[in-house]
Amino acid sequence: GTGGKEGKTWKRFQSYKGEAALPKEAESLRIFVDRKAQTVILPIHGFAVPFHINTIKNVSKNDEGEFTYLRVNFQTPGQLAGKKEDTPFEDPDCTFIRSMTYRSADGHRFDAVTKQITDLKKEVNKREQQKKEMAD
Amino acid sequence: MTTQFDRIYHALSPEVGKFRIAASGIAWKGEDSDAMVAVSVNDIKWAQWLRVARNHQLRVGLKDRRRETFDGFMREDHDRLAGLMKQHFGVTLETKEVTFKGWNWGVADFQGQDLAFLVSNKTSFELPLRQVANSNIAGRTEVSLEFASTSNKRPSKHAPDEMTEIRFYVPGTTTRGGRDSEAGSQ
Repeated sequence: GTGGKEGKTWKRFQSYKGEAALPKEAESLRIFVDRKAQTVILPIHGFAVPFHINTIKNVSKNDEGEFTYLRVNFQTPGQLAGKKEDTPFEDPDCTFIRSMTYRSADGHRFDAVTKQITDLKKEVNKREQQKKEMAD
Repeated sequence: MTTQFDRIYHALSPEVGKFRIAASGIAWKGEDSDAMVAVSVNDIKWAQWLRVARNHQLRVGLKDRRRETFDGFMREDHDRLAGLMKQHFGVTLETKEVTFKGWNWGVADFQGQDLAFLVSNKTSFELPLRQVANSNIAGRTEVSLEFASTSNKRPSKHAPDEMTEIRFYVPGTTTRGGRDSEAGSQ
């Protein structure tokens, strides 16, 4: 049977309760991975914008000339992934950020950021999996 | 009498400077360069206070619809700054609420020359539409905005990360009711 996935519901999550919780590193106007808060902070025109790891699908990176480009892909409804969607959403009619691309001349840093985000994603997925197994 | 705040940024400048406020207006001067910004008391129409990456921002609205922004104020500076804005320019320092929930869903709202992204009716970030170099709609539900490079300097390893593109998923023509900005405007 396929009953296992039908019980999936959207679970509330939040990065920070207020501005005072924002880590100091957000000041750098660079991407920062806050492992403790399970959050990636993206700089957007002077704002430090947190994205909880649950909103992130994956990251990809490629080098072009002097720059390295990092693309963060987010979980959104209506993605043609070829497989049935089982990710629940709080409000699928909202506007969603689907992806954001950054560039930097420091390719090594973007390598590190890519690894940090990927590792955090894995860590959270593993924990979810363990919780599920405990419940079964 | 002039009041000075140190280590303040102008707009997205990488350089800190001194911010001065007096009855005649406000001024900022870079610490390393000769960069200088001055706004006369007669041009100041409104003032806002909001949390940004580099601590708090003072946003000053000008007569010609332009605005100047200064980042780097501490939370403790708020009351003093609010008092000075009132005393010198007769404007109230209004707080713009910013959200830190970490969600990627919300409402895109055109606010003057910006596209604001709101989560639970609070600002998550703003995109200056003037800096959009290209936009594209794919498959009726996906909108992408590309941004022109803000600096023409040689790429530096110490430069901030530059956002070059953002893509939105816009599911359709659903109208969203009950927004704060629509209430009480009559």
